[in-house]
Amino acid sequence: MPASSMPVPPMPEAQPAEDDPERLARFTDRIAAGDQIDAGEWMPENYRFEALRLINMHANSEIMGALPEREWIPRAPTLARKMALTAKVQDEVGHGMLLYRVAETLGRSRDEMVTELIEGRGRFHNVFHYPAETWADVAIIQVFVDGAAMQTQGALRSCSYAPYSRVLKRICYEEDFHIQLGLDVWRALAEGTPQQRAMLQDALRRWWTPIIHFFGMPDKVSPHTEKMLAWRLKVKSNEELRQQFLRRFVPIILEYGLDVPDTGLRWIEAEQRYVYTEPDWEELKRVGRNGGPKSAERLALRQKFQRQHAWVREAISHGAAA
Amino acid sequence: MAAGVRPAPGDTPRSEAGDRWQRALDAPRDVWAVFLQARRRDPHIYVGDVHAPDAEMALVLAKEGYTRRDPCVNLWVVRADQIHATTAGAEEMFEPATDKSYRFGGSYRQQQKVYRSAWRLSHREEDQ
Repeated sequence: MPASSMPVPPMPEAQPAEDDPERLARFTDRIAAGDQIDAGEWMPENYRFEALRLINMHANSEIMGALPEREWIPRAPTLARKMALTAKVQDEVGHGMLLYRVAETLGRSRDEMVTELIEGRGRFHNVFHYPAETWADVAIIQVFVDGAAMQTQGALRSCSYAPYSRVLKRICYEEDFHIQLGLDVWRALAEGTPQQRAMLQDALRRWWTPIIHFFGMPDKVSPHTEKMLAWRLKVKSNEELRQQFLRRFVPIILEYGLDVPDTGLRWIEAEQRYVYTEPDWEELKRVGRNGGPKSAERLALRQKFQRQHAWVREAISHGAAA
Repeated sequence: MAAGVRPAPGDTPRSEAGDRWQRALDAPRDVWAVFLQARRRDPHIYVGDVHAPDAEMALVLAKEGYTRRDPCVNLWVVRADQIHATTAGAEEMFEPATDKSYRFGGSYRQQQKVYRSAWRLSHREEDQ
């Protein structure tokens, strides 16, 4: 069925007391059998709520995630780098548009979600609350931040909400380009002058904790986590995804003779996993509530552009009315 | 899905949707479905939506959103609420009621076997 051109269910006037148990059981069986739910189909209210929260947050993160790298478009070192970076930033904004449309099929309008985001009431991923201080930060964002996002999004391609899994296929295809592009910037700096290598090492040091944070705290065994996994709105646990990321990306750091910023990082051969120094989880919570070093500034920038471009939106809709 | 339960057009399948086997998609008014043709020899394929106040803007946004790198020779946009679709609950009407193997070429391979055995007979090892 067409991905996202599906009915937008009306927001329930009041939270329904209980889902019909017979329908709920049928729904649970379908998902357990590997079936996917399409837009407009019946779903438990709680499923709708969780799916919407997940996809809305992902959409917000694509929009806000374009901003740190956007800062480097005017300062990219060569024309080729500038064009590639522009393409990458454009992809991220495109992902935001795809995702808001999917979220819309779960019962919120795009305007409502965008307004909530720019007024600072929405949430977006922790990594986009941090500064991009040097050109080396661009390499770190493209390789490690996109690489981290790729673990989560790659896993979610098999989630139970069909419209989300369809756009994720396309998003992951483009994210792969971002990682390849990032590796090229990374390689150029890692093979460069001592000054360039120092710049790369410094950027890696600053980004390490936010990247470890990215996957969230190890899941507690809770009815909520179990329900998310059973409904396939979560496909792998936070810790599984973090380990998957470390297995793939730690070797890239070591191959170029750079230091992993965590001196406590160890590979446990028998368990095929890394142990790492427990990061400060309070920082993640603070940043997640829009209390990161760049949260206010980037939201203010987004608000400014929303005002500045109001005339464009107006001109477009006037043309339509005529 | 139960074999043999095959709603004919106009019938009402017993389904999760509970009621209809087809309906218009009820997307917001400003949503346009985008169909992309990658090459002249290919059909237009649904790739996603855009929000736009009119068809011209929808085409502009579809070009920006869906043709950034992969090939495209032609785009269609249509208001999503103008699309009629079978409902998810009516999926079972696509389940074949009977064995459909007679519609596939693979069911008619006897002649190939004849050729193969003829080839074996005429290429006996002692003749090589």
